[in-house]
Amino acid sequence: MSKVLYALRETAANLRRNLTLTIATFVTVAVALTLSGAALLMRNGVNDITARWRGGVEFIVMMKPDATKEQIDAVGNDLKANPIVDANKLRFFDKAQSFEEAKIILADTPTLIDALGLEGSPTQWKVVPTTPDPDVIRGVADQFQNRPGVLEVIFPAKYLQRLKQLTGLLQGMILGAAITLLVVSALLILNTIRLAMFARRREIEVQKLVGATNWFIRVPFMLEGLVQGFVGALLAFGGVWGLNRLFSTRVAKANEVDVLSAAVASSGEVRGLGILLLVIGVVIGTVGSGLAVSRFLDV
Amino acid sequence: MIRLDNVSKVYKGQIAAIRDATADIAKGEFVFLVGPSGSGKSTVLRLINKEEQPTAGEIWVAGKMTNNLSPWRVPYLRRNIGSVFQDFKLLTNKTVQENVAFALEVIGRPRHVIRTQVPAILELVGLAGKHERFPHELSGGEQQRVSIARAFVNRPLILLADEPTGNLDPATSDGIMRLLDRINRTGTTVVMASHDQGIVNSMRRRVIELDRGTIVRDQSRGVYQ
Repeated sequence: MSKVLYALRETAANLRRNLTLTIATFVTVAVALTLSGAALLMRNGVNDITARWRGGVEFIVMMKPDATKEQIDAVGNDLKANPIVDANKLRFFDKAQSFEEAKIILADTPTLIDALGLEGSPTQWKVVPTTPDPDVIRGVADQFQNRPGVLEVIFPAKYLQRLKQLTGLLQGMILGAAITLLVVSALLILNTIRLAMFARRREIEVQKLVGATNWFIRVPFMLEGLVQGFVGALLAFGGVWGLNRLFSTRVAKANEVDVLSAAVASSGEVRGLGILLLVIGVVIGTVGSGLAVSRFLDV
Repeated sequence: MIRLDNVSKVYKGQIAAIRDATADIAKGEFVFLVGPSGSGKSTVLRLINKEEQPTAGEIWVAGKMTNNLSPWRVPYLRRNIGSVFQDFKLLTNKTVQENVAFALEVIGRPRHVIRTQVPAILELVGLAGKHERFPHELSGGEQQRVSIARAFVNRPLILLADEPTGNLDPATSDGIMRLLDRINRTGTTVVMASHDQGIVNSMRRRVIELDRGTIVRDQSRGVYQ
């Protein structure tokens, strides 16, 4: 019991005594964890944005102008039955609708509109896939390419795959940055604690000489690291929450940039991240100071 | 109480700091380790305290061989050994009584024991009334008394003193020696490294002389030479 009280008293006294160093550690942990936390939130945001884009990608099965009604219906029924096709969003454009669409698309070149004409216009199945995976969509699109009556399957494969690559790259970069920041913050904490310990190496030396056990010396330092990590992480939690808040109000004001709204983290996401940051802060602080003190215990 | 059996200590890639030293120190003895700087006096003390490992030979402290003592048992060995140094090694941010109480706190003594033992030991070393002073407010002799109080408050079997008078003037040194003598009379074995001829000669105790790591003389009631 007296040992527990001693450890608590020592911890409180040390935190108070090295106030500037304590504050420096708080700030170091807070800044590093805020940056890592923000990076992780950004990673989620990018994921959400690209998911929205991918979800919005359609492909079109364009039928020949002279395709028979049976051919059109056969393709339509098969599309409806396909599991990756959202049957409720499947739309059919007849010649008139296709011609209207063509007029809009080809507005710059009226000669082409005249050449196409209502009779020359194809009919179309506009397909909304249920999966965002471009490779799966491509497989299904290819199945319809050679069906009788099909003129062409228009599928923005190139762009989708490019988007997929780009998203992967961006996420990788952000994850890399987040991990780097975490490692840097771990090193900073370790260094700060080592500095605090260096200032007290004489005290440790005396403790060893009068017969204190290693754990008896180590525990107050580890508690100190725990407090520093916890408070720093708490500040970082506040920082990330504030940043997300700032971002979401900006996005809300500029509501035409709809796609960005996907990047705003929900309060659940932020809370989860906060807990993660607290765990990381506490673990780094406690384990870091435990390791740092070991160097000085070797007397 | 302390036995060295053919002990050698060689630091990596250097010549031997201690060469084949054998000595037997009985309970309650007062022993001077003498010799010029670098002769190995401090190394002997550090070997006894297990701050250093011998390269060869056996070291026995309080009836136990300490060579193969596992690291977690070393603190318990040290609770039987008090240490005093030339530079006092006091904690500057703690008061006199906190410095002494520290030695009891770190070995987990209950507070009521600390509250009675600390004033008693400060009385013994002649620092009654200076409990609340900080080390920098004390003279060198007084600081060494605090350091002796800290080493002795736990009533160890052995007191190791490494040049405890090295930083003090002769008159103050006499006071410290009287205190160490008094502690020795309580039955505590005292081993003191010194190159202060006057002190060694006036005390007339056992003298072990070291020269470049070798014991060249072991004489009861000896002088410095």
